Amino acid sequence: MDDVLIPPAQLEAIQDALHAGAAEASTALGTWIDRPARIELDAVEQVPLHDATSALGDAEEPVCFCAVGLEGALGGCMILAFDDRSGLTLADLLMDKPPGSASEWGDMERSAAEETANIVFCAYLNALSRAMRADLMPTPPRFARDYPSSLLEFALMDQAVAGDRVMFGRTQFHIDETAVDWKLLFVPDAASMATLRDAFPGGQAQ
Amino acid sequence: MKPRTKQTPAIRMGEMAVAQSEGVLRTLLGSCIGLALYDRRQRVAGIAHIVLPDSRGNTETPGKFVDTALPALCAAMEELAGIPLKLVARLAGGANMFATDAARRIGDQNIEAAEALLKTLRIPVVGRHCGGTQGRRMTMDVATGAITIEIVGCDPEEI
Repeated sequence: MDDVLIPPAQLEAIQDALHAGAAEASTALGTWIDRPARIELDAVEQVPLHDATSALGDAEEPVCFCAVGLEGALGGCMILAFDDRSGLTLADLLMDKPPGSASEWGDMERSAAEETANIVFCAYLNALSRAMRADLMPTPPRFARDYPSSLLEFALMDQAVAGDRVMFGRTQFHIDETAVDWKLLFVPDAASMATLRDAFPGGQAQ
Repeated sequence: MKPRTKQTPAIRMGEMAVAQSEGVLRTLLGSCIGLALYDRRQRVAGIAHIVLPDSRGNTETPGKFVDTALPALCAAMEELAGIPLKLVARLAGGANMFATDAARRIGDQNIEAAEALLKTLRIPVVGRHCGGTQGRRMTMDVATGAITIEIVGCDPEEI
């Protein structure tokens, strides 16, 4: 079985494009929440399948997340994951309530999380779309709570069919210069690995 | 494959684990399936976290495929017991969060392939908890063979 891996030079070019996506998403998020926001790409990782399911931290502690599918030049998904406290604090922020006001996920809190995810995903994909010179669109976001390990299994299944190693981009968030426990994953499907290699032939695409 | 003790971590994608007499085996499932085997008399338990139905000759990761995981798991359990076993099987997983045709096809194919091979090996399937759109935690009590399925936001169920 062939692993669909990205050579180092191309991986660097993809990382540059995702850095640009993170920068654009930082601006969009900062405007949305009216606070300084910084989104930084941690890494684009190519790891053995069985190691990938810990990418969101403790694989067994349920997390909240908003997920979208990718349409257009790339398939796959993007996931914005956060613990309950971080997500509810965001909802308080957006509804002009003191931190700690929201204690459970009602319709308003879910909507705030989905809208935030939508803004971040769209900004990220806009930058990537320009770098690839191709159309990229997200499907409507879906909010859910699940085990991180299960969530990653859903996201990585398509790549798992193609090989024993999988690739994804991982991003960290800072709000008001404080690290918050949100994580954004960019997970292309197996067919999109070839598209990415073609779009970034040794770092030429800008 | 080493026998698992009480505090060992969850069985990851493509891996298998066996244990005897005491402790728990557990795995977290999404689109993959958890295949659990148990011999009540010898109290020998095994779980494989299976990703795909057919190895197509790949022997490097036997736990990843139905056709290689099931024989390998049976062999590991019999090696641990030291005698031939009379096994029963339970299946869980095969969910599809992103509603893609590919993921649904793989989940269904995994379950169909596992049930067909279990039938060939005359291992009865005594419990199932498959499909849906959410992940599962599958936990097996090695002393009793009881399997608990947990889904976030739902009450645990025993199969």
